[in-house]
Amino acid sequence: MKTTRRTKPASDEELKPSRISPTLAAIISAVIPGLGQMFTRNFRRGLVLLIGFFSAAGLLIWRFILVARRDVGFVDIFTKGIRLQPVLLFLTLATIVLWIWIIVDAYLSAKRPVGRAVGLFLILIVVYFSLGWQIGQVDLVALVTQIDDAESQVNSIAWPWSRAITTPEEYLEARAILWVPCTDDTPPQPPREGDEAYLEITPNCGDLGEVDGSRGTPITLRGYGLLPNAEVRILWNDPLKQVFTHREAGEFMFFPADENGEFEVDITLPYRLVPPTTIGAQDWTIIAQQVSSTGKPEPSLELKLAVEKMIETIFIGMMATLFGIILAIPFSFLAARNLMSGTRITLVIYYLVRMVLNLVRSIEPLIWAIIFVIIVGLGPFAGILALTIHSIAALGKLYSESIESIDSGPIEAVQATGANWTQTVMYAVVPQIIPPFVSFTIYRWDINIRMSTIIGFVGGGGIGYLISQWISKTDFKATGIAMWFIAVTVAILDYVSAEIRERYV
Amino acid sequence: MLEIRNLTKIYDDGTRALHNVSFTVEEGEFLVVIGLSGSGKSTLLRCINRLIDPTEGEIIWNGVDLAKLAGEDLRKARRKIGMVFQHFNLVKRSSVMNNVLSGRLGYTPAWKSIIGRFSAADREKAWTALDRLNIRDQAHKRADELSGGQQQRVGIARALMQEPEMILADEPVASLDPVLAHSILRYLEKLNQEDDMTILCSLHYLDLVQRYATRVIGLKEGEIVYQGTREEIRAMSDQEFKDIYGEEAERVGELVGTTGA
Ligand SMILES: Nc1ncnc2c1ncn2[C@@H]1O[C@H](COP(=O)(O)OP(=O)(O)O)[C@@H](O)[C@H]1O
Ligand SMILES: [Mg+2]
Repeated sequence: MKTTRRTKPASDEELKPSRISPTLAAIISAVIPGLGQMFTRNFRRGLVLLIGFFSAAGLLIWRFILVARRDVGFVDIFTKGIRLQPVLLFLTLATIVLWIWIIVDAYLSAKRPVGRAVGLFLILIVVYFSLGWQIGQVDLVALVTQIDDAESQVNSIAWPWSRAITTPEEYLEARAILWVPCTDDTPPQPPREGDEAYLEITPNCGDLGEVDGSRGTPITLRGYGLLPNAEVRILWNDPLKQVFTHREAGEFMFFPADENGEFEVDITLPYRLVPPTTIGAQDWTIIAQQVSSTGKPEPSLELKLAVEKMIETIFIGMMATLFGIILAIPFSFLAARNLMSGTRITLVIYYLVRMVLNLVRSIEPLIWAIIFVIIVGLGPFAGILALTIHSIAALGKLYSESIESIDSGPIEAVQATGANWTQTVMYAVVPQIIPPFVSFTIYRWDINIRMSTIIGFVGGGGIGYLISQWISKTDFKATGIAMWFIAVTVAILDYVSAEIRERYV
Repeated sequence: MLEIRNLTKIYDDGTRALHNVSFTVEEGEFLVVIGLSGSGKSTLLRCINRLIDPTEGEIIWNGVDLAKLAGEDLRKARRKIGMVFQHFNLVKRSSVMNNVLSGRLGYTPAWKSIIGRFSAADREKAWTALDRLNIRDQAHKRADELSGGQQQRVGIARALMQEPEMILADEPVASLDPVLAHSILRYLEKLNQEDDMTILCSLHYLDLVQRYATRVIGLKEGEIVYQGTREEIRAMSDQEFKDIYGEEAERVGELVGTTGA
């Protein structure tokens, strides 16, 4: 019975005679695609086609204009558009096919009742997804050809562990002071003690290189008391106390000391931009450095940071979940229809709370994080606040739904035994809401920890902050370490939450 | 003795579910209430233990008007009236044991029951009740893991924990198949005969009514339209039964003597 009643209006429409002739319908649809159908017996189909065709055509024209931004005139825009974006040609053709098909369809549907326009709507869908392809700048070629170029970075991220350990080194150093420029005096040199490493420079003053490439004063370095045959490196400590490695003609200089632990090299003073001074000469320290011993491998700074921030991340998620639970419970009672439908006032509260919860929930935690970073500043607390507020809204809704689905039978039964209000709540209400509460809470905990890994991207603390910094420094190995930590943590979390849910619910 | 005088219940939406209902129930009776669905059976039973507040009338039980009780006095009175429901009304996710123990809440101080501390005597009672209803093995299962018949036995065990003088049973077998229906009703009959508990029970099937009732009240649109003794019911024909009960009345089938699960 029901099905026949539902299809009745459609068949009525089909049985109605067309109000216009087939030719007229075709002409009208040629001018305004879809309008012809609306005048026959297929008003709804015509409306859909009209809206579909005009929005597709509008989008197409807009894309042409975007591509050929500086051109004027239909022909110029059109040719430039399909030259730069060949998919636009396909789109144009598809739109023309759609147009012709609509005209034919108008003619046919004026002539006799027609069935569903499967082909027509298929074309419409093709047009829309091609538009999506163009608007979304889908470029499969780039995906295939450029993946090779990214190989080393991808490898660094996939297997970053060489960056996880460092070997601490101890250095043997000899220093000497040089003045720039020369004055009447000579710079004081560090005292020479026994057989300790010692560096001698001649002359011990001079001028720096210039930006135009003219070289600085040549000097000769002589080192004594160094490790025999071990590699020596030359470093500078400029007047701003910035240490940098010496380059001779653009290359780093490494050379071994001789079998007596001595060396002699000629170098020129480097080019370096330092603020000029009026108080005579500036101190430049030149350092000859050797690695004297290598210690045991130990966790690198990046590894330690990643561990530290991963722990912070997990705790951000945990704290947000805890605060979320505590605050969501009162809200969930206010948002439960069965509890709030008693009087008109409570019903108004119910609608208000519902509305606020929905509103808060519709704003992503990342946006909340940005807001809270503005309020409380960078760091984990902003992240906790952002996730908390989103959790309150999400849990409040889920909790209130489980309160709404409480079975009143057990409540009556417990009341009938002579139990008081507290006992009734404890024995008939709580056991019904605990399992869904636990289940939703674990689910939320899971989401919060995942979210806390990216909340740092906007300054909300946790490992996301490290990742965003390392990515901007293109330190892919360090990024890889952080990503590994996230992946492993999330995997463990998945397992744990599945276990708890299975046991408890 | 329970004496209902001029009981009327009008729901908030204006539905008059009971109209001037008066009858008495002697101690030790197995009184069956019959009537079409919507005739007011549940309303009547729920008025007696005040799950529903009657609009007018008196419910005199052991000399006290239950209709006027409130708070602590009402809870004290409820302790002595057990109730068994059509849909069992167990807390599904709690264990059978906890469901049975909840029958003892009226006797337990609130703070003790909140931390789940029932006295050893209460636990002993629970085991006895479970034994009596042959569900000792199920004690630690979750209530919803049990079959329908077993769940209703848990429901009866819970009522037994109250050490009631009267049991209200609202269509206790309507969601069970005929074999189980007999099994459940035999448990109620046993309580009626061995423990002298008064039973008020609403039922659907003529043969169950004939088999178990010591007296019958027929309700129609909230008014009593029939009262009969055991002998009168036994003599009743299907047609007479249908006159009160409507055409949907039927027999469960000849199952007397079957031992149900
Ligand atoms: N909570 C309620 N609010 C309003 N009307 C109700 C309510 N409960 C029952 N009724 C009405 O009261 C009448 C008697 O119902 P009920 O006592 O449940 O009958 P029975 O148990 O015999 O099926 C019916 O018309 C029913 O619709
Ligand atoms: Mg009923």
